[in-house]
Amino acid sequence: MNDLHGILFAYRSNTNLGELTRPRNTCSLPFGGRYRLVDFMLSNYINAGITDVGIIVHESYQSLLDHLGSGKDWELSRKHGGLRILPPFGYEGKGGGEYRGNMEALSGVYSYLQNIRQEYVILGWGDVAVNLPVSEIYQQHLDTGADITMVCTTHYCSTPGNCEYVTISDNGQVNDLSIHPATASGLESLELYIMSKQLLLDIVEYCTTHNIYNFSRGVLQPRLHTMKIIPYIHKGYVARFPSVSGYFNDSMDLLDEKVRDDLFNPDRPIRTKDQSNPSTYYGPNSVSKNSLVADGCFIEGEVENSILSRGVIVEKGAKVSNSVLMQGTVIKAGASLSYVIADKNVKVNEGRMLMGHSTYPLAIAKNSIV
Amino acid sequence: MKKEVVAMLLAGGQGSRLYALTSHVAKPAVPFGGKYRIIDFPLSNCVNSGIDTVGVLTQYRPLELNSYLGNGQPWDLDRSDGGVHILPPYQREGDQGTWYKGTANAIYQNIGFLDLYDPEYVVVLSGDHIYKMDYSDMVAQHKKTEAACTISVLEVTLEEAKRFGIMNANPDGQVYEFEEKPQHPKSTLASMGIYVFTWQKLRQYLIDDEADPNSSNDFGKNIIPNMLNAGEKLMTYRFSGYWKDVGTIDSLWDANMDMLAPNSSIDLYSTEWPIYARTPIKPPHVTGPNAHISHSLVTGGCKVNGKVENSVLFHSVVVEEGAEVEYSILMPGTVVKAGAKVSYAIVAEDAVVEAGATVGAPPSDDPKWGIAVVAGGVTVGEKATVSPSAMVREDVKGGEQA
Repeated sequence: MNDLHGILFAYRSNTNLGELTRPRNTCSLPFGGRYRLVDFMLSNYINAGITDVGIIVHESYQSLLDHLGSGKDWELSRKHGGLRILPPFGYEGKGGGEYRGNMEALSGVYSYLQNIRQEYVILGWGDVAVNLPVSEIYQQHLDTGADITMVCTTHYCSTPGNCEYVTISDNGQVNDLSIHPATASGLESLELYIMSKQLLLDIVEYCTTHNIYNFSRGVLQPRLHTMKIIPYIHKGYVARFPSVSGYFNDSMDLLDEKVRDDLFNPDRPIRTKDQSNPSTYYGPNSVSKNSLVADGCFIEGEVENSILSRGVIVEKGAKVSNSVLMQGTVIKAGASLSYVIADKNVKVNEGRMLMGHSTYPLAIAKNSIV
Repeated sequence: MKKEVVAMLLAGGQGSRLYALTSHVAKPAVPFGGKYRIIDFPLSNCVNSGIDTVGVLTQYRPLELNSYLGNGQPWDLDRSDGGVHILPPYQREGDQGTWYKGTANAIYQNIGFLDLYDPEYVVVLSGDHIYKMDYSDMVAQHKKTEAACTISVLEVTLEEAKRFGIMNANPDGQVYEFEEKPQHPKSTLASMGIYVFTWQKLRQYLIDDEADPNSSNDFGKNIIPNMLNAGEKLMTYRFSGYWKDVGTIDSLWDANMDMLAPNSSIDLYSTEWPIYARTPIKPPHVTGPNAHISHSLVTGGCKVNGKVENSVLFHSVVVEEGAEVEYSILMPGTVVKAGAKVSYAIVAEDAVVEAGATVGAPPSDDPKWGIAVVAGGVTVGEKATVSPSAMVREDVKGGEQA
């Protein structure tokens, strides 16, 4: 138990993910065989004993709602607190479309923030795959007396132009923040913060009245030298899904045992929606090597260096290598796939050959029939 | 609140013929089919049949079963009205209270529970059968025929009939005679231990049966014969489809193997009649570069880098490189280390088969051959041997034979 409230930003759709995010918001992108991206941060929160979580959504969040349900799979279906989905209620922003920044998003849910029962708040993005010791970060926040604790990593993202970097002074405080630079240097920020509820309310109030909608540009940069901002350096694995090929590479990272051990640390398990799938069945002449396979698959063909989500069917004589197959993909007899990302319920008919390249994997849109 | 139908699931049995597998858990909580426990089948059948109030009668080693059932949420049985209720024996004012003496006595002791819901019909189920069945269809027949009791029956061979309770019935399905394990069966309609009773009738028979000091308070031995003798209308309900009693090591092994052939047994992949289970939080399973898996079930959290053939792997099983597993059932968390060989065996939860050890063997002419069983938590030491049909409850030291 602790005095921490969780806020997750789940309103952005990363347009660089093309076909993969057209039907959904980035947070509900499937990853790792049986998860949606939001499962990681949500699990991080609850593994630290957080009981109240608000998820800020804006557009195309149907698949996210369907996935989260009442929150019971994360033990967040509670009489008091628990999971709250926060669509833009009474939001009068001028941006039209998506929120222009996280401060605008927070302004949109100001009354929710006022009613937070806890003294501290953790704010993060729901589209990062990472297993974080949130209770340790919270403890560090209390111990250092920081105004803001900022979670950083040394595990750089492949596209620094989408990321933020900080440098640290001798006294251990953040003294510079560069946003979307051409080259990465210093520590990469996960844009994940802990601060007191009071400070958050003050900042939101200030931003609303000064038309500031970006936390990094409008709050952190101007206040670098007046606030005590201390980094927490996370040394483990982080996946940030900057593009289709980035998504592919992040998926393939899971075939490395060290990455799996870190991301699926049994002491801090990643929870997801329970679907009551049976075990995966392997047929008499099937092959499965160096792959991550979720429950409920039916495999009679060959699978190598691939990630298979729940309920995938690989028929006899079909070959799947270096591919990511999302839930319900059907690969008919004799088809062959290499460097392919097949979104949910894709059907690849008999004998089809689909080939991408490791630097340019072929992404097939949800529900397509090849 | 009144309910039309309440199900009572008899889950109190020790399942002594499962020996080492039930030394710590009640039989209904024994893992089955990769992802399930035995009790998931009758419970899921209840929910899929629209029965939302289920009493689970427990008395033997109930802790694991109780925590597995929890509030009934995995089966959608977390209801504010009805839902799943665990019913242990209890003391009443002025009496000492007793264990459940028999199947009928277990229901008798819970007349108070049933009266809370005042049902028209009670479905009585066992916790040791694997099958998919629509109880609502059986209840509909019961209503239509205005029977006092409807008994689900299955066509068996004349030879098998000697091991079952046999219903001798008229062509219209009305039972005129019941024989328990007859030497010379007159019919091949075997009782599946699934009953629908009109509650007010059953209630009276239970009270009368309890007053009879010579009764063994059992449905098959007492209640059914008493109802027949009194001229009540008993009807058979014909079931065809997969049904298996998993009360012995051999039948448990067989039924698990059946799950590998979904066309001839239960199709666990069909979404029309799903079987629900409480599933632990595990990542997908991983196959290594040296994995060889054929005709097998593999579950979340497993790490397979050896050879697995014709086997059922529950969650979090590890099969290391060079290990071989064939025709075996590896329950959650078992580890088979490099070079070990497991053949025709059931290895229970969290057991460890150390490097180079051998458990079980393929069938031979030896009359003593059988399925080898390693109990939960046991370690079979390096290069140790567990003989076919052995039942290992304690650690086997390296190099030794058990």
